[in-house]
Amino acid sequence: MFELSVPRPFASGVERTVIENALEQIRVADSLGFDTAWCVEHHFLEEYSHSSAPELFLTAAAVQTERIRVGHSAVVCIPEMNHPIRVAERAAFLDILSGGRLELGTARSSTWTEIGGFEADADATKQYWDEYVRVLPRMWTEEHFSWEGTCFSMPERAILPKPIQKPHPPLWVTVTSPGTELDAADRGIGCLGVAAAGFEEQERRTKEYHRRIQLCDPVGAVNDQVATLNFLYCHEDLATGAERGMQMLGNFGLLNSHLLFTREAYPTRAYQTLGNLAPGKGRKTESGSPADAYGIPEGMGIGDPATITAAIKEWESIGVDQVNFMLNAAEILPQDQVLDSLRLFAREVMPAFARGRRDGSGA
Amino acid sequence: MIVGSAEPEALRPGAPVMHDFGSEPLSLAGASVLQLLCEVSGGTQALLPPALHPTLPGVVAWQVYDFPTSPWGPFRMAQTRIQCRSGTRPRGLLVSGVVTSAAAGEALTARWGFRLAPGEIDFLRGYDRVHASVRSPEGDALLAVGLQDPVMLPPGAVQFVSGVHPADTPSGFRLVQVDALHEVHRAERGDPVIDYFDAGAWGEDRMVPTYPISASICTADVTLRRLRFVCRPGEMSFTGTETVAAG
Repeated sequence: MFELSVPRPFASGVERTVIENALEQIRVADSLGFDTAWCVEHHFLEEYSHSSAPELFLTAAAVQTERIRVGHSAVVCIPEMNHPIRVAERAAFLDILSGGRLELGTARSSTWTEIGGFEADADATKQYWDEYVRVLPRMWTEEHFSWEGTCFSMPERAILPKPIQKPHPPLWVTVTSPGTELDAADRGIGCLGVAAAGFEEQERRTKEYHRRIQLCDPVGAVNDQVATLNFLYCHEDLATGAERGMQMLGNFGLLNSHLLFTREAYPTRAYQTLGNLAPGKGRKTESGSPADAYGIPEGMGIGDPATITAAIKEWESIGVDQVNFMLNAAEILPQDQVLDSLRLFAREVMPAFARGRRDGSGA
Repeated sequence: MIVGSAEPEALRPGAPVMHDFGSEPLSLAGASVLQLLCEVSGGTQALLPPALHPTLPGVVAWQVYDFPTSPWGPFRMAQTRIQCRSGTRPRGLLVSGVVTSAAAGEALTARWGFRLAPGEIDFLRGYDRVHASVRSPEGDALLAVGLQDPVMLPPGAVQFVSGVHPADTPSGFRLVQVDALHEVHRAERGDPVIDYFDAGAWGEDRMVPTYPISASICTADVTLRRLRFVCRPGEMSFTGTETVAAG
């Protein structure tokens, strides 16, 4: 999961270094057998995320790799930011350029920084998102498409090109607020968890998602997968892994907390929770893991191969299909340490997990 | 990571003096609370001490309270605050306030470190608008804000963040964390109206409101909790926080 966070000061070339480091990480991940490289969409979030054009980043990633899937996590489904026609067009283009490797996440943004910056209607973002996910599969699959809706309308046109994947790329929704997983299930789309819940909470939400999606009225091809957000720093020595991984986790948490969340600034029914990407909500001690001694939150991919394997086994046991890892936070870890961590994880942890459902997917 | 760059000592002149941290909680029932948030030009990094982090974008908040009952009788209070973070937690740095009751002002200053000046506050609540205006004892306008066309919201929709009050305390010059619990019974949001704001009169003329975000009017029971923490203003909260009483 790439946020493309950029450390201050924003000297010339710093953003380029961050982007090039991230692309190198994806090339290495591709060679090591990782499944998907996700990249977020954010705007105006100084330091925290400079990833304002993930479709361009992912295009670069796609042409530099052979098998890893590219995930747009997620396109903000607000007309002031991304018109739905453009979302469909760009996604289809990226699916073609990547050879059918696109995963498309959808979202509605949770910060006033972004929503206010585009002068979008914070009260209506959920409604907008709902309309987007209902039209995107039709735009991709119908030869000609027309629409009269709430947030946009259009006369009949051919929306081009069409994606390679048939009937269309897998659709996801990012889940930060509790309850969005139910919205995902009802529409038959994947649950892209981006708030790091603990095991117990994630198990409850995953079970309910899987129960409910059996009864869904799908907006397109059903994607019934659950992914969670995590952080990865793997080192042979648990203490070293914990120290560096927790440094990354703490830095990310600080940068995240300085954003101005919509709920804080603009009272509305549409944001019942902060909806932020807060790491480490899980139990911190007494789980019986050696990681407890280092204060590593429950389920984090931080530590040595044994502790990380145990954590991911737990995620697997509660029905999670994918674990998405943040690899760095504002370059607090040097690039060589990030790459070493990836390689060690691939060598020591990945063999413990079965391949997944799709070709090329797995741990 | 972006942190405040103001010299801590720059916040000290005129800071309230607290002789102890031993205040009992204070409950003020049935208050009307008008709160407006507005983006400010240029951010707030230069306005905050190193203990605090600015929000992105920088935001000024005004809170106008109409307390129908209190140990000192009915009174009104207005505050100008800068939204910020202490570590990862949302906070509002109190720039200054105005209070209509000298007795209430003295107590709030001594017990919770409110930086308050005397003044007059009109608080008008109509069917389709709420308006508050704040004046100095000499009649000079300090603030005129309100909201129009209120719509009802769930009581939990309006957020109130804890304050941090620069004050001279028994521990030295500190940022005093003031937790004001708002048990909201009725909440409405309207279009924000900012008619007038004399930033310099509130003590920080670098605050330039540019983009109104929201305005809300709530009926709430407000409880000022016993003080728990203070923070040294010159260092981040992770190392600068000191406990002053059992939580």
